[in-house]
Amino acid sequence: MNMLNCFIPALAFLFQEADSSRVALMKKAALNPDLSKFLVIGALLFIIGVAGVLTRRNIIVIFMSIELILNAANLNFVAFSRYLQASGNVNALAGQLFTVFVIVVAAAEAAIGLGIVIALYRNKETIWVDEIDLLKW
Amino acid sequence: MVLSGYEALFFWIFALAAIFAGLLTVMARNAVHSALFLISSLVSVAALFVLAGAEFIAGVQILVYVGGVMVLFLFVIMLVNVSAEESGKEEIFNNQRQVTASLIFCFLLVGGVLYAVSDGYRGLLKMHPQAEATVGEQSDAKQTTGPQNATGTSQITKDTERIGSSLYRYASLPFEIASILLLVAIIGSVMLARTLRQEASADDVDPDSLQELVASDPQLATLKAQSVLEPRSE
Repeated sequence: MNMLNCFIPALAFLFQEADSSRVALMKKAALNPDLSKFLVIGALLFIIGVAGVLTRRNIIVIFMSIELILNAANLNFVAFSRYLQASGNVNALAGQLFTVFVIVVAAAEAAIGLGIVIALYRNKETIWVDEIDLLKW
Repeated sequence: MVLSGYEALFFWIFALAAIFAGLLTVMARNAVHSALFLISSLVSVAALFVLAGAEFIAGVQILVYVGGVMVLFLFVIMLVNVSAEESGKEEIFNNQRQVTASLIFCFLLVGGVLYAVSDGYRGLLKMHPQAEATVGEQSDAKQTTGPQNATGTSQITKDTERIGSSLYRYASLPFEIASILLLVAIIGSVMLARTLRQEASADDVDPDSLQELVASDPQLATLKAQSVLEPRSE
Protein backbone atom coordinates (compact mmCIF):
# COMPACT_ATOMS: atom_id res chain seq x y z
CA MET A 1 0.00 0.00 0.00
CA ASN A 2 2.97 2.33 0.13
CA MET A 3 2.58 2.68 -3.65
CA LEU A 4 -0.76 4.41 -3.05
CA ASN A 5 0.97 7.09 -0.97
CA CYS A 6 3.42 7.67 -3.81
CA PHE A 7 0.58 8.59 -6.17
CA ILE A 8 -0.56 11.52 -4.01
CA PRO A 9 2.18 13.89 -5.32
CA ALA A 10 1.16 12.90 -8.84
CA LEU A 11 -2.44 13.85 -8.10
CA ALA A 12 -1.29 17.14 -6.60
CA PHE A 13 0.73 17.78 -9.75
CA LEU A 14 -2.29 16.91 -11.90
CA PHE A 15 -4.54 19.44 -10.23
CA GLN A 16 -2.06 22.26 -9.62
CA GLU A 17 -3.36 24.08 -12.66
CA ALA A 18 -6.78 24.39 -11.11
CA ASP A 19 -6.49 27.88 -9.67
CA SER A 20 -9.75 29.77 -9.27
CA SER A 21 -9.73 31.50 -12.65
CA ARG A 22 -9.49 28.25 -14.61
CA VAL A 23 -11.88 26.11 -12.59
CA ALA A 24 -14.87 27.01 -14.75
CA LEU A 25 -12.86 26.26 -17.90
CA MET A 26 -11.80 22.90 -16.51
CA LYS A 27 -15.36 22.08 -15.50
CA LYS A 28 -16.51 22.79 -19.03
CA ALA A 29 -13.68 20.65 -20.40
CA ALA A 30 -14.61 17.80 -18.03
CA LEU A 31 -18.26 17.95 -19.07
CA ASN A 32 -17.25 17.70 -22.73
CA PRO A 33 -14.41 15.16 -22.94
CA ASP A 34 -12.53 15.40 -26.22
CA LEU A 35 -9.49 13.74 -27.78
CA SER A 36 -7.11 14.93 -25.07
CA LYS A 37 -9.12 13.18 -22.33
CA PHE A 38 -8.89 9.90 -24.23
CA LEU A 39 -5.15 10.44 -24.55
CA VAL A 40 -4.77 11.15 -20.84
CA ILE A 41 -6.69 7.99 -19.93
CA GLY A 42 -4.53 6.00 -22.35
CA ALA A 43 -1.35 7.51 -20.90
CA LEU A 44 -2.43 6.69 -17.34
CA LEU A 45 -3.15 3.08 -18.31
CA PHE A 46 0.25 2.94 -20.02
CA ILE A 47 2.00 4.27 -16.92
CA ILE A 48 0.20 1.79 -14.67
CA GLY A 49 1.30 -0.99 -17.01
CA VAL A 50 4.91 0.19 -17.01
CA ALA A 51 4.90 0.34 -13.22
CA GLY A 52 3.56 -3.21 -13.12
CA VAL A 53 6.23 -4.50 -15.51
CA LEU A 54 9.00 -2.82 -13.54
CA THR A 55 7.94 -3.69 -10.02
CA ARG A 56 6.08 -7.00 -9.87
CA ARG A 57 7.81 -10.31 -9.12
CA ASN A 58 5.17 -12.65 -10.52
CA ILE A 59 5.94 -13.23 -14.20
CA ILE A 60 2.27 -13.79 -15.08
CA VAL A 61 1.30 -10.42 -13.59
CA ILE A 62 4.11 -8.88 -15.65
CA PHE A 63 2.48 -10.34 -18.76
CA MET A 64 -0.86 -8.90 -17.68
CA SER A 65 0.77 -5.48 -17.29
CA ILE A 66 2.07 -5.78 -20.85
CA GLU A 67 -1.51 -6.42 -21.97
CA LEU A 68 -2.47 -3.23 -20.14
CA ILE A 69 0.22 -1.29 -22.05
CA LEU A 70 -0.96 -2.63 -25.41
CA ASN A 71 -4.53 -1.76 -24.48
CA ALA A 72 -3.51 1.82 -23.73
CA ALA A 73 -1.95 2.02 -27.20
CA ASN A 74 -5.19 0.67 -28.66
CA LEU A 75 -7.16 3.36 -26.87
CA ASN A 76 -4.95 6.05 -28.41
CA PHE A 77 -5.33 4.53 -31.89
CA VAL A 78 -9.12 4.45 -31.62
CA ALA A 79 -9.31 7.97 -30.20
CA PHE A 80 -7.19 9.37 -33.02
CA SER A 81 -9.26 7.43 -35.55
CA ARG A 82 -12.42 9.06 -34.20
CA TYR A 83 -10.73 12.47 -34.24
CA LEU A 84 -9.72 12.07 -37.88
CA GLN A 85 -13.20 10.84 -38.80
CA ALA A 86 -14.60 14.00 -37.25
CA SER A 87 -12.19 16.19 -39.23
CA GLY A 88 -13.13 14.46 -42.48
CA ASN A 89 -9.83 12.74 -43.12
CA VAL A 90 -9.85 10.15 -45.92
CA ASN A 91 -7.73 7.52 -44.19
CA ALA A 92 -9.49 7.86 -40.86
CA LEU A 93 -10.03 4.15 -40.29
CA ALA A 94 -6.29 3.39 -40.26
CA GLY A 95 -6.27 3.65 -36.47
CA GLN A 96 -8.93 0.99 -36.09
CA LEU A 97 -7.14 -1.27 -38.59
CA PHE A 98 -3.94 -0.89 -36.60
CA THR A 99 -5.84 -1.78 -33.43
CA VAL A 100 -6.93 -5.07 -35.00
CA PHE A 101 -3.30 -5.93 -35.73
CA VAL A 102 -2.21 -4.93 -32.24
CA ILE A 103 -4.81 -7.30 -30.81
CA VAL A 104 -3.52 -10.09 -33.08
CA VAL A 105 0.06 -9.52 -31.95
CA ALA A 106 -1.05 -9.39 -28.31
CA ALA A 107 -2.79 -12.74 -28.66
CA ALA A 108 0.31 -14.31 -30.25
CA GLU A 109 2.54 -12.77 -27.58
CA ALA A 110 0.34 -14.10 -24.78
CA ALA A 111 0.35 -17.61 -26.24
CA ILE A 112 4.14 -17.71 -26.67
CA GLY A 113 4.82 -16.00 -23.35
CA LEU A 114 2.62 -18.34 -21.38
CA GLY A 115 4.25 -21.31 -23.13
CA ILE A 116 7.60 -19.97 -21.95
CA VAL A 117 6.20 -19.55 -18.44
CA ILE A 118 5.06 -23.18 -18.36
CA ALA A 119 8.44 -24.43 -19.63
CA LEU A 120 10.22 -22.21 -17.08
CA TYR A 121 8.06 -23.42 -14.23
CA ARG A 122 8.68 -27.03 -15.22
CA ASN A 123 12.45 -26.50 -15.08
CA LYS A 124 12.93 -23.95 -12.30
CA GLU A 125 9.85 -24.56 -10.10
CA THR A 126 9.37 -20.83 -9.63
CA ILE A 127 7.56 -17.91 -11.26
CA TRP A 128 9.27 -15.14 -9.26
CA VAL A 129 11.40 -13.22 -11.74
CA ASP A 130 14.12 -12.36 -9.21
CA GLU A 131 14.82 -16.07 -8.68
CA ILE A 132 15.21 -16.71 -12.42
CA ASP A 133 18.76 -15.35 -12.73
CA LEU A 134 20.62 -17.85 -14.92
CA LEU A 135 22.00 -15.11 -17.16
CA LYS A 136 23.01 -12.89 -14.25
CA TRP A 137 26.66 -12.89 -13.11
CA MET B 1 -14.76 14.82 -31.43
CA VAL B 2 -16.48 16.17 -28.38
CA LEU B 3 -18.63 13.93 -26.23
CA SER B 4 -21.50 15.55 -24.37
CA GLY B 5 -24.43 14.68 -22.16
CA TYR B 6 -24.76 11.01 -21.25
CA GLU B 7 -21.76 10.17 -23.44
CA ALA B 8 -19.58 12.35 -21.21
CA LEU B 9 -21.04 10.75 -18.07
CA PHE B 10 -20.37 7.24 -19.33
CA PHE B 11 -16.91 8.31 -20.53
CA TRP B 12 -15.89 9.32 -17.02
CA ILE B 13 -17.47 6.25 -15.41
CA PHE B 14 -15.67 3.84 -17.70
CA ALA B 15 -12.41 5.81 -17.69
CA LEU B 16 -12.28 5.74 -13.88
CA ALA B 17 -13.25 2.06 -13.88
CA ALA B 18 -10.48 1.25 -16.37
CA ILE B 19 -7.83 3.14 -14.40
CA PHE B 20 -8.78 1.79 -10.98
CA ALA B 21 -9.09 -1.75 -12.29
CA GLY B 22 -5.65 -1.32 -13.90
CA LEU B 23 -4.20 -0.10 -10.60
CA LEU B 24 -5.70 -3.06 -8.76
CA THR B 25 -4.32 -5.39 -11.44
CA VAL B 26 -0.84 -4.22 -10.59
CA MET B 27 -1.36 -4.15 -6.82
CA ALA B 28 -3.44 -7.27 -6.17
CA ARG B 29 -1.64 -9.91 -4.15
CA ASN B 30 -3.34 -12.93 -5.70
CA ALA B 31 -2.66 -13.50 -9.41
CA VAL B 32 -6.22 -14.68 -10.01
CA HIS B 33 -7.52 -11.41 -8.58
CA SER B 34 -5.10 -9.57 -10.90
CA ALA B 35 -6.54 -11.43 -13.87
CA LEU B 36 -10.12 -10.63 -12.88
CA PHE B 37 -9.29 -6.93 -12.40
CA LEU B 38 -7.56 -6.92 -15.77
CA ILE B 39 -10.72 -8.38 -17.32
CA SER B 40 -12.81 -5.56 -15.86
CA SER B 41 -10.25 -3.01 -17.08
CA LEU B 42 -10.40 -4.47 -20.59
CA VAL B 43 -14.21 -4.41 -20.57
CA SER B 44 -14.16 -0.75 -19.49
CA VAL B 45 -11.75 0.09 -22.29
CA ALA B 46 -14.08 -1.74 -24.69
CA ALA B 47 -16.88 0.56 -23.49
CA LEU B 48 -14.60 3.54 -24.22
CA PHE B 49 -14.12 2.11 -27.72
CA VAL B 50 -17.90 2.09 -28.15
CA LEU B 51 -18.02 5.74 -27.03
CA ALA B 52 -15.32 6.55 -29.61
CA GLY B 53 -17.44 4.98 -32.34
CA ALA B 54 -15.41 1.78 -32.82
CA GLU B 55 -18.02 -0.89 -32.15
CA PHE B 56 -16.23 -3.61 -34.09
CA ILE B 57 -13.00 -3.08 -32.17
CA ALA B 58 -14.95 -3.21 -28.91
CA GLY B 59 -16.47 -6.54 -29.90
CA VAL B 60 -13.10 -7.92 -30.93
CA GLN B 61 -11.64 -6.69 -27.67
CA ILE B 62 -14.23 -8.54 -25.61
CA LEU B 63 -14.17 -11.70 -27.73
CA VAL B 64 -10.41 -12.03 -28.19
CA TYR B 65 -9.00 -10.47 -25.02
CA VAL B 66 -11.61 -11.37 -22.42
CA GLY B 67 -12.82 -14.56 -24.06
CA GLY B 68 -9.51 -15.90 -25.32
CA VAL B 69 -6.38 -14.36 -23.88
CA MET B 70 -7.61 -13.92 -20.32
CA VAL B 71 -8.96 -17.47 -20.17
CA LEU B 72 -5.50 -18.62 -21.27
CA PHE B 73 -3.98 -16.50 -18.49
CA LEU B 74 -6.32 -18.03 -15.92
CA PHE B 75 -5.47 -21.53 -17.13
CA VAL B 76 -1.75 -20.86 -16.74
CA ILE B 77 -2.25 -19.29 -13.31
CA MET B 78 -4.08 -22.41 -12.18
CA LEU B 79 -1.41 -24.61 -13.77
CA VAL B 80 1.61 -22.99 -12.12
CA ASN B 81 -0.26 -22.10 -8.94
CA VAL B 82 2.33 -21.36 -6.31
CA SER B 83 0.81 -22.70 -3.13
CA ALA B 84 -1.80 -20.38 -1.73
CA GLU B 85 -0.27 -20.08 1.73
CA GLU B 86 2.97 -18.89 0.15
CA SER B 87 1.23 -16.10 -1.73
CA GLY B 88 -0.01 -14.78 1.61
CA LYS B 89 3.36 -13.86 3.03
CA GLU B 90 5.69 -13.50 0.05
CA GLU B 91 6.59 -9.98 -1.03
CA ILE B 92 4.84 -9.29 -4.34
CA PHE B 93 7.00 -6.36 -5.42
CA ASN B 94 10.66 -6.46 -6.31
CA ASN B 95 13.22 -4.93 -4.01
CA GLN B 96 13.01 -1.30 -2.93
CA ARG B 97 15.54 0.00 -5.47
CA GLN B 98 13.53 -1.23 -8.44
CA VAL B 99 10.28 0.16 -7.02
CA THR B 100 11.77 3.62 -6.54
CA ALA B 101 13.37 3.55 -10.01
CA SER B 102 10.05 2.64 -11.60
CA LEU B 103 8.25 5.34 -9.61
CA ILE B 104 10.75 7.97 -10.80
CA PHE B 105 10.25 6.75 -14.36
CA CYS B 106 6.48 6.93 -13.94
CA PHE B 107 6.60 10.49 -12.60
CA LEU B 108 8.73 11.53 -15.57
CA LEU B 109 6.17 9.93 -17.88
CA VAL B 110 3.29 11.68 -16.12
CA GLY B 111 5.05 15.04 -16.43
CA GLY B 112 5.85 14.47 -20.09
CA VAL B 113 2.29 13.39 -20.85
CA LEU B 114 0.79 16.41 -19.09
CA TYR B 115 3.12 18.76 -20.96
CA ALA B 116 2.44 17.05 -24.29
CA VAL B 117 -1.32 17.01 -23.84
CA SER B 118 -1.64 20.61 -22.69
CA ASP B 119 0.77 22.15 -25.23
CA GLY B 120 0.66 19.69 -28.10
CA TYR B 121 -3.11 19.55 -28.15
CA ARG B 122 -3.28 23.29 -28.63
CA GLY B 123 -0.99 22.88 -31.64
CA LEU B 124 -3.24 20.15 -33.00
CA LEU B 125 -6.24 22.42 -32.65
CA LYS B 126 -4.37 25.10 -34.62
CA MET B 127 -3.79 22.54 -37.39
CA HIS B 128 -7.40 21.38 -37.57
CA PRO B 129 -9.41 24.24 -36.08
CA GLN B 130 -12.71 23.04 -37.53
CA ALA B 131 -12.52 19.53 -36.07
CA GLU B 132 -13.47 20.46 -32.52
CA ALA B 133 -15.92 23.19 -33.37
CA THR B 134 -18.20 21.44 -35.81
CA VAL B 135 -18.09 17.80 -34.87
CA GLY B 136 -21.17 17.94 -32.65
CA GLU B 137 -23.39 19.32 -35.37
CA GLN B 138 -21.75 17.05 -37.96
CA SER B 139 -22.43 13.82 -36.10
CA ASP B 140 -25.95 14.91 -35.23
CA ALA B 141 -26.66 15.78 -38.84
CA LYS B 142 -25.21 12.45 -39.95
CA GLN B 143 -27.47 10.55 -37.61
CA THR B 144 -30.67 12.34 -38.60
CA THR B 145 -30.18 12.72 -42.33
CA GLY B 146 -28.08 9.63 -43.03
CA PRO B 147 -29.44 7.11 -45.48
CA GLN B 148 -31.87 4.85 -43.69
CA ASN B 149 -31.70 1.25 -44.72
CA ALA B 150 -34.92 -0.59 -45.40
CA THR B 151 -33.87 -3.42 -43.08
CA GLY B 152 -33.02 -0.97 -40.32
CA THR B 153 -29.25 -1.39 -40.60
CA SER B 154 -27.70 0.45 -37.71
CA GLN B 155 -24.52 2.45 -37.31
CA ILE B 156 -22.81 -0.58 -35.82
CA THR B 157 -23.02 -2.76 -38.90
CA LYS B 158 -21.95 0.19 -41.02
CA ASP B 159 -18.83 0.66 -38.93
CA THR B 160 -18.01 -3.03 -39.22
CA GLU B 161 -18.61 -2.96 -42.95
CA ARG B 162 -16.30 0.02 -43.42
CA ILE B 163 -13.55 -1.61 -41.37
CA GLY B 164 -13.87 -4.85 -43.30
CA SER B 165 -13.68 -3.21 -46.70
CA SER B 166 -10.72 -1.01 -45.77
CA LEU B 167 -9.00 -3.98 -44.09
CA TYR B 168 -9.02 -5.90 -47.35
CA ARG B 169 -8.45 -2.88 -49.54
CA TYR B 170 -5.52 -1.22 -47.77
CA ALA B 171 -4.13 -3.88 -45.44
CA SER B 172 -4.51 -7.24 -47.13
CA LEU B 173 -0.80 -8.07 -46.99
CA PRO B 174 -0.48 -7.27 -43.25
CA PHE B 175 -3.66 -9.33 -42.78
CA GLU B 176 -1.99 -12.39 -44.34
CA ILE B 177 1.20 -11.77 -42.37
CA ALA B 178 -0.86 -11.62 -39.18
CA SER B 179 -2.43 -14.98 -39.97
CA ILE B 180 1.03 -16.50 -40.51
CA LEU B 181 2.13 -14.94 -37.21
CA LEU B 182 -0.77 -16.61 -35.44
CA LEU B 183 0.12 -19.97 -37.03
CA VAL B 184 3.73 -19.61 -35.90
CA ALA B 185 2.52 -18.67 -32.41
CA ILE B 186 0.35 -21.79 -32.21
CA ILE B 187 3.22 -24.08 -33.26
CA GLY B 188 5.70 -22.27 -31.03
CA SER B 189 3.57 -22.45 -27.90
CA VAL B 190 2.92 -26.15 -28.46
CA MET B 191 6.66 -26.75 -28.87
CA LEU B 192 7.48 -24.70 -25.76
CA ALA B 193 4.93 -26.27 -23.45
CA ARG B 194 5.89 -29.91 -24.09
CA THR B 195 6.86 -32.09 -21.17
CA LEU B 196 10.28 -33.74 -21.03
CA ARG B 197 8.74 -37.10 -21.91
CA GLN B 198 6.99 -35.65 -24.97
CA GLU B 199 10.20 -33.90 -25.98
CA ALA B 200 12.13 -37.18 -25.81
CA SER B 201 9.54 -39.08 -27.80
CA ALA B 202 9.56 -36.38 -30.45
CA ASP B 203 13.35 -36.14 -30.67
CA ASP B 204 14.13 -39.85 -30.69
CA VAL B 205 14.44 -41.42 -34.09
CA ASP B 206 12.57 -44.66 -33.87
CA PRO B 207 11.04 -46.37 -30.85
CA ASP B 208 11.95 -49.86 -32.15
CA SER B 209 15.64 -49.11 -32.69
CA LEU B 210 15.72 -47.32 -29.34
CA GLN B 211 14.37 -50.41 -27.62
CA GLU B 212 17.03 -52.58 -29.28
CA LEU B 213 19.69 -50.16 -28.15
CA VAL B 214 18.37 -50.12 -24.61
CA ALA B 215 18.09 -53.92 -24.52
CA SER B 216 21.73 -54.31 -25.59
CA ASP B 217 23.00 -51.91 -22.92
CA PRO B 218 21.38 -52.04 -19.45
CA GLN B 219 23.41 -49.05 -18.24
CA LEU B 220 21.91 -46.91 -20.96
CA ALA B 221 18.45 -48.03 -19.94
CA THR B 222 18.82 -46.74 -16.36
CA LEU B 223 20.38 -43.52 -17.63
CA LYS B 224 17.53 -43.01 -20.05
CA ALA B 225 14.90 -43.68 -17.42
CA GLN B 226 16.47 -41.22 -15.03
CA SER B 227 16.88 -38.40 -17.51
CA VAL B 228 13.57 -38.74 -19.29
CA LEU B 229 10.98 -40.02 -16.92
CA GLU B 230 11.88 -38.16 -13.76
CA PRO B 231 11.63 -34.40 -13.46
CA ARG B 232 14.97 -32.74 -13.38
CA SER B 233 16.19 -31.87 -9.89
CA GLU B 234 19.14 -29.59 -9.27
